[in-house]
Amino acid sequence: MPGDRSQAADLTRTLGRRLADAVEADAAVSRRAVLGGLGLAGAGALGLAGQGRASNDHGSGADEHGNFGAVGAYESTDFDPHAFLREFNTGFETTESVPNQRVYERDDGDGGTERVREFDFVASLRPIEIAPGVSFPAWTYNGQVPGPTLRATEGDVIRVNFANGQRHAHTIHPHLKNLNPAMDGIPQNGPGLVDQGDAFTYEWKAQPAGLHFYHCHSLPLKEHIHRGLYGAMIVDPDPDRVGRKPREYVNYQGPIDAAYRADLVERAELRNHEYRADELDEQVMVMNGFDTNFDGDNEVYAVNTRAFAYGVAETDGYGSWSAGETIRPIRIDRAERQRLYLLNVIEFDPINSLHTHSQFFDYYDHGTTLYPTHKTVDTVMQCQAQRGILELDYGDHDPGLYMFHAHQSEFAELGWMSFFEVT
Amino acid sequence: MGETATAGRRVRLGWFLRAVAPVVLLLVLLGVVVALPLFAGVQSGEPLPDVTISHVSLPNDETLALHVTNNGPEPVTISQVLVEEAYWTFAVGDGGPGAATLAPLESATVRIPYHWTPGWDLHVSLVLANGATFGHDIVAPQPQPGVTTDVLQTLALVGILVGVIPVALGMLWFPVMRDLPQYYLHGVLALAAGVLTFLAVDAGVEAFAEAGAIPGAFEGTLLVVTAILGSVLLIQAVAAHLRDGEALSPLGLAYMVALGIGLHNLAEGLAIGGAFALGRASLGAFLVIGFMVHNLTEGPAVVAPLAEGRRPSLWHFGALGLLAGAPVVLGGWLGSLAQSPTLGALFLAVGVGAILQVNWELASLIRREGRLASPATLSGFLVGLLVMYATDLLVAL
Repeated sequence: MPGDRSQAADLTRTLGRRLADAVEADAAVSRRAVLGGLGLAGAGALGLAGQGRASNDHGSGADEHGNFGAVGAYESTDFDPHAFLREFNTGFETTESVPNQRVYERDDGDGGTERVREFDFVASLRPIEIAPGVSFPAWTYNGQVPGPTLRATEGDVIRVNFANGQRHAHTIHPHLKNLNPAMDGIPQNGPGLVDQGDAFTYEWKAQPAGLHFYHCHSLPLKEHIHRGLYGAMIVDPDPDRVGRKPREYVNYQGPIDAAYRADLVERAELRNHEYRADELDEQVMVMNGFDTNFDGDNEVYAVNTRAFAYGVAETDGYGSWSAGETIRPIRIDRAERQRLYLLNVIEFDPINSLHTHSQFFDYYDHGTTLYPTHKTVDTVMQCQAQRGILELDYGDHDPGLYMFHAHQSEFAELGWMSFFEVT
Repeated sequence: MGETATAGRRVRLGWFLRAVAPVVLLLVLLGVVVALPLFAGVQSGEPLPDVTISHVSLPNDETLALHVTNNGPEPVTISQVLVEEAYWTFAVGDGGPGAATLAPLESATVRIPYHWTPGWDLHVSLVLANGATFGHDIVAPQPQPGVTTDVLQTLALVGILVGVIPVALGMLWFPVMRDLPQYYLHGVLALAAGVLTFLAVDAGVEAFAEAGAIPGAFEGTLLVVTAILGSVLLIQAVAAHLRDGEALSPLGLAYMVALGIGLHNLAEGLAIGGAFALGRASLGAFLVIGFMVHNLTEGPAVVAPLAEGRRPSLWHFGALGLLAGAPVVLGGWLGSLAQSPTLGALFLAVGVGAILQVNWELASLIRREGRLASPATLSGFLVGLLVMYATDLLVAL
């Protein structure tokens, strides 16, 4: 060991001379700062300094010294996770992902009227860049993975005109309280599989309030899900109904007084996009993954398809970082609260999770209650198809980067690692 | 006279034109195939990508260098690299960090800055643009000292100890052999053949095993077979040319044996040097003693053909010993410089071929003078095999 140390000292001196010569001409670099870093550099080169890296070599920085993460930036514009994050299809206005959508009232066949939210969906094959330079032949709803996020108010009818333009037969199966078996979107019921060139219109009652899931239910199920046929459906609570039937929205058996009822109604209004949901910064995060080499294990994990898309583009590993065009943190305003609609669709792994650094949040499992099912937690676990709503408040935090990621380290290092940039 | 010469040249020119005509026609046709898009409309899917990580070098504990070859008929793009199931930065060849495309048959070094721990296995994977992955296990990585004068000196010393000295000691049996009647001398020659056969089988098995690590495009197995047969035929052709119809002189045969053993020892040296450079060799007493005992039998094999007739001058013995033993030093140096499985398999295969050719010569020598399958020769051959097997147990590299 003493021998190693003296070798390290020698190496440090050699490196010192070389680097000091190299930076002589560069007034921007303090000679003293360079030499200061060298003790670690010399020791690191001999393996004495743990993870210490000799990264002071002029002009090279992080590039030469082992930064973790994907290399390069996304080259194609086939999917933008940053746009997907805050896009909700309500039927009121068209979007790029659902060009044909509308809202209208119709006779409910029972003497009253009902409101319909209608969306056109097309299944197609489309290559999507899921890690920089790595393309995946995805099966998509409307050309994107995850499929478009649909949003309605409790009690509305969600109507999806589904046309299959892909060579395999597909369906759309809703995770809703659906009362008509013909609309369940499985091969054994209703229209069954929808073949290429065929179409079918699904109609589902938007209930119960919460965050829900839709996906293709063709067999083999594993393949039809992991190839990309899934998406999120948000059913906002109807404040009037909450006022009338408060017990359906809480896991609580005690007496309900006027103040409790009023609090629930206010919570419903803050959830509902037709009332006050815009007071929060709402984001959809679908935890997914891709098996690119058919070994029954995912090579890429992500929220919203693209590995590391909410990461930092460059870092020297010593606290400085920069955002890129395609890889950049999610910017959030600390004056605003955040609401995450989190859905796990991961295939091949039993569970997925989300962990926030330096932050605790309230979690509403399935989003079906108006009081949290987990109060003040920093990690939630979801099995496939499980989902929930997270409410976060960065009001106390200093501005800067706050990481969040799957706390399966493997998933994190394979792409499911993200940041909020609090401003 | 002049006319005849001109006619001769004209004949030779015509002969030459006729000889190259098929090749020229082929080139013209190839040009046509390339120029006309004959197969533009023909589509029968895409060939599968095929990438090999033939070996890994570890220049320091902050770097993994993967030696990669594209075996497939199409270019491949290495888009990402995984180390232990985590995306990691990397650079290909002399380029900057990031993706790189390899043309068919192109090889490159993928450098990954990764702080690894000696003794802890690593799995690395290349992720191509289409999502296909090609992996490699780095088993118990050790720091590789690389090539320094210290290493070269150590390898030279080891080479002299395990190559030159045992062969020289073994040659001291020469006076004993001279006193043997011819019948028993043939037994000793057969013993030499047994020693050589053992070495050939040993090296042959090694060569085919090594061939498995050769990038698929280079057809490792066929390369080994071609190298074995090629070296047999080449050495045989050279020997036939030298003796010009006469039987090979005992001294000539001794040199052939020394050459065969030398080529084998070159491959042995490659293995020692490679293991040393990879940080895999414990150059302890066990290995050195093992090789010394093992190689002792090579000495009598070299001088056995000289036991009859006039003793050649002493410097020939020195030259024979060096030819047989010194290549261990050379192989050690080469092996420490380049750990290429292709090179390793090639040297092993050439050694096998040389030994096979020598056995051929030994057999014809015995047959010329006596009976090939006598009790003495058969048991000599067997003893050769057994001694080599027993001493081989001492060598664990």
